[in-house]
Amino acid sequence: MKKLLLAATMLAGLTPAAFAQETITLKFWDNQQTESGLSQYQKEAVKRFEAENPGIKIEVTTIPYPEFQQRLLTAVQGGNAPDVSTVDQIWQAAFAEAGAVAELDAQAKAAGVSPDTFFKGAWDSANYNGKLYGVPFNVDVWQFSFLNNALFKEAGIDPASITTFDGLKAAAEKLTDPAKGKYGVGLFGHKGEDTVVVMNSFIFSNGGKVLDENGKCALTSKESVGALEYLQSLVPFAPKGILNASSGDMRELFLNGSLGVEFWPALEQPTLQKSKIDWDFENGTAPSGKTPVGAYGGWNLVVYKSSPHQDAAWKFIQFLTREDVNGAVVDLIPANVKAAKTFLEANRKGADKIMTHLANAQPRPLSARYLEVSDIEVTLAQDVYSGANPAEAAKKACAAIDALD
Amino acid sequence: MLKRDRWLTWIFVTPAVLLVAVLMYYPMIGTVIESLYSTSFINPTPKFVGLAVYKKIFASADFGQIVWNSCIWTLAVVVLQNVFGFLCALLLNQKLPGQGLMRSLILLPWVLPGVVAAILWRFMYDPQLGLINSFLISAGFGDQGLAWLADSSTAMAAVVIAAVWKGFPFATIVYLAALQNVEEEQMEAARIDGAGPVRRLWHVVLPSMKEVIAINFILTTILTFNYFDMIWVLTRGGPQNSTHIFPTKIYELGFGQFRFGEAAGYGVVSIVVLALLITLYFLTQRGGRRAVA
Repeated sequence: MKKLLLAATMLAGLTPAAFAQETITLKFWDNQQTESGLSQYQKEAVKRFEAENPGIKIEVTTIPYPEFQQRLLTAVQGGNAPDVSTVDQIWQAAFAEAGAVAELDAQAKAAGVSPDTFFKGAWDSANYNGKLYGVPFNVDVWQFSFLNNALFKEAGIDPASITTFDGLKAAAEKLTDPAKGKYGVGLFGHKGEDTVVVMNSFIFSNGGKVLDENGKCALTSKESVGALEYLQSLVPFAPKGILNASSGDMRELFLNGSLGVEFWPALEQPTLQKSKIDWDFENGTAPSGKTPVGAYGGWNLVVYKSSPHQDAAWKFIQFLTREDVNGAVVDLIPANVKAAKTFLEANRKGADKIMTHLANAQPRPLSARYLEVSDIEVTLAQDVYSGANPAEAAKKACAAIDALD
Repeated sequence: MLKRDRWLTWIFVTPAVLLVAVLMYYPMIGTVIESLYSTSFINPTPKFVGLAVYKKIFASADFGQIVWNSCIWTLAVVVLQNVFGFLCALLLNQKLPGQGLMRSLILLPWVLPGVVAAILWRFMYDPQLGLINSFLISAGFGDQGLAWLADSSTAMAAVVIAAVWKGFPFATIVYLAALQNVEEEQMEAARIDGAGPVRRLWHVVLPSMKEVIAINFILTTILTFNYFDMIWVLTRGGPQNSTHIFPTKIYELGFGQFRFGEAAGYGVVSIVVLALLITLYFLTQRGGRRAVA
């Protein structure tokens, strides 16, 4: 009888639940995105993933941008990294170099994930030293030139003219009247990444580069210096205080009708749509005959090396970047090209125009020392905007970049 | 002392010693050790480099400017905060109508969170929309606003003014308390001897407050030297490093670029500079006392 009871007890312990697959909980950390109602879509997407993948639960943590990088780094160094997270494109190389994130080439190859699915610049930003360390999640481009239609009409300026260097400068000159508090173009040079991306987009549009193929500074090239000289020539037509101004400060002036042209990514559109400003936009600015080339911004999805659930994490990444999901869970532009087209047509003015600018854009330097390069570039921008000789300022910046050990 | 008393002393002292050791000396020693290693996010394995970090710091073009900025910033804020705080304390020590309300209102800048105060001043200094420029233009000082925080020649003065505004109520309260402890008999005796208000202030009030003044100077020196949020919110150390001080540089290196070894090096150097400033202050005080004697 005792033996029978023991056997029954043992069998009771081996219920179907005990045989069932163990539930995995994936920790997913994301930058707190700004589009209202987005978290609801994200929650729904997570539910959908969990329904499609029984046995995998997702625990989402959203963190405001200013804290996100610090939280991730602390987690990585403390051995508490999440399984999956978004990383800013400009952090990707450092995370790869530090050995924090897993190589994804094999998984991507096995799953048939093709680079063509994503915008080229965004795909490039997920690669480092020839290996894939992430999958593009969302993208945007600095800079689009947003213009105040009323001011342009009053000054008799053709909005399309600002796509060329000469046209933008002529328009800025015409629009500027400091006595009336009106300015042509919203330049900004504070210590922030927005300063760097706008400067880079002018450099890229003029055929220049920040770093060459060998990772050496290329800011002293004729094209790069030419772009810096051009930016300096716009200073008289910008509101005072460039060296401490941000894109946010210029937005305020644009929204109160004091500014003819502001530089922002397409992300600016929802704000402008809610405003009373009669606005339009152009795809950046380049010398006559050349195509404007923007600087990519955006986020990639990565799997941490420390994650014990590599396969489940990869499944989740694939899910988030799928055409039918990607558009619902981002507040920038989906990195999946097809999802981006659908998203832009539904949510942004000038979808085709934006698609063109996205296709032409380049990522910022894919360097593990990017954060330091970026700081040096801010100093370069401040030197240029405060009247230093652009060639000399570029030389100083290159000396600092090439001295990074 | 009995043997049992010695044991009791140790039992009572040990928790305090442990707390100080763990909370103060362990991090400090840790920082010194960290500064001897090259550690960054991309090279997380610490590599011993000896004094190479210090060599790099001293050779950097920023270093001289950061030391200079830190000294100017600390000196200007401490002196102005204390002078202004003392004058306000003298005023509030008078029997004036609405004295209680005035004493409460004057505390307002000090009780505001640092970041809120900094944002407030950022709006005030805005070149296009700021209150200060609007006032100056309407008063006839030019037809265009100045970019206070964006010009290397005005940025330091602008952040100093904001910090003085934020911090002077602390000095006021300390000095007000000290003024109320000045012995009335001494003041009365000075009055009978024919001393006017200035002589009473110089020969009675200030000597009886000298310890409080010394402590307040040291406290505000330490607080100002390590003050971070005002400058970070207003300028982030810019433009062109014209307002970069030790705390902003350490933050930028440690949390912006993740160069932990270099950040620790700057931290150690900042402690040395602060110690030098305080020693200098004590030497000046001692010199002053000898001259008086």
